[in-house]
Amino acid sequence: MSFLEFLAGRWSEILGLTLEHVVLVVISTVAGVLIAVPLGLAITRIPALGRPVLGFAGVIQTVPSLALFGLLIPLPLIGGIGSRTAIIALVLYALLPILRNTVTGVRQVDPAILDAANGMGMTDWQRLTLVEVPLALPSIFSGIRIATVVGVGLVTIAAAVGAGGLGSLIFRGLAMLDSRLLFAGAIPSAILALLADGGLAMLEARLVASRGASTS
Amino acid sequence: MKGVAISFREVTKSFDQKLVLDRVSLDVSPGEVLVLLGRSGCGKTTLLRLVNRLVDADAGEVYVGGREVADWDPVELRRGIGYAIQGVGLLPHLSVGENVSLVPRLLGWNPERRRDRAADMLRLVGLDPREHGDRRPDQLSGGQRQRVGVARALAADPQALLMDEPFGAVDPIGRRSLQEEFRALSRELGKTVLFVTHDVTEAFRLADRIAVVADGGIRQVGTPHEISDAPADALVRGLIEGAA
Repeated sequence: MSFLEFLAGRWSEILGLTLEHVVLVVISTVAGVLIAVPLGLAITRIPALGRPVLGFAGVIQTVPSLALFGLLIPLPLIGGIGSRTAIIALVLYALLPILRNTVTGVRQVDPAILDAANGMGMTDWQRLTLVEVPLALPSIFSGIRIATVVGVGLVTIAAAVGAGGLGSLIFRGLAMLDSRLLFAGAIPSAILALLADGGLAMLEARLVASRGASTS
Repeated sequence: MKGVAISFREVTKSFDQKLVLDRVSLDVSPGEVLVLLGRSGCGKTTLLRLVNRLVDADAGEVYVGGREVADWDPVELRRGIGYAIQGVGLLPHLSVGENVSLVPRLLGWNPERRRDRAADMLRLVGLDPREHGDRRPDQLSGGQRQRVGVARALAADPQALLMDEPFGAVDPIGRRSLQEEFRALSRELGKTVLFVTHDVTEAFRLADRIAVVADGGIRQVGTPHEISDAPADALVRGLIEGAA
């Protein structure tokens, strides 16, 4: 039986797992954005927050993903086997790139523009919403893009704690020494990562073009 | 709105224990263009920024229209004073028209009134609102951007204008015509203008009066004639002759 026939026989299962995979990535990235963007903006207003928050997010990034999934399982409320544990770990991983790009994006705004904004009589909130966030948007967006692509890869590992997704085919393939199963999980996952990266890059380019976000 | 008086009384300011302004007093009359002339680091920009409270004095008082600036809410004070700087600080993600009507927007004007105002202001500085209004700042030339900067500073009909080397980034020819047009415009509008520059020629071209600033103090205040005819000291003479 060829690999293609093998795929054809499991078509609906692969499709279902791909969908599950996408849902896990989307949920965790969206949650990551909702936490990391406001937190990053807060850091630009309260610099004392910067070191502990970025430090915490940085430390999480250094924990191997399999170990982090394992560490979360015994915890009450957030732990256990299943997609909830996986999502929490995925959100934690998404934090650093988004946080870092939010903070850098805001800090890179041309000082002359900020001076003009202050001199015109903008309140701090107006400066944030009318000037800093729009100008930091391309940088924030590229952080989201990194988090999404990394997320696609991490979700395959999340199958180890029973989260589902394409990783479950890979782990089954490993356990049964069946390379066809392994590839049936790995190839769609790689394609997903490429699609996410390419799609978000295109969106990013359009965002930059429409906002004229180059400093002039 | 016609211009108001601006006064500095014994103003002192230090940054990191370095004395930048040392008991400076100066009166700017309503409707006059007063140029603060001096080399970089002499304290002239700090003096300007005291007026709209981008900097607060350590000691002494600054008055705008007879009211001490320390009594104002900084945001409210700044919205009543036009501000234009070198590099212009136009917001690159907004159109030229939106940039011009930014202070009116902060003041809560409705969109229609803002659009009209932006068009009027662009015409005032010699730009065509239909041709330039919808462009992004980076689609304009350097000189056009400076014009937009002036239009933006004037948009909310401020009681005074603060300008910090606003024509600094333009080529000499464009600069000259900007200066001449600005001189005519400021006379016509009757605004009080405080203008910072290190360029002696520019100072002489624009000013009703010049205040020569050096080492955190004012060396001489007078009309361009008075200063070129009778420089108060060697430093002032050196500054003017250096440019001649």
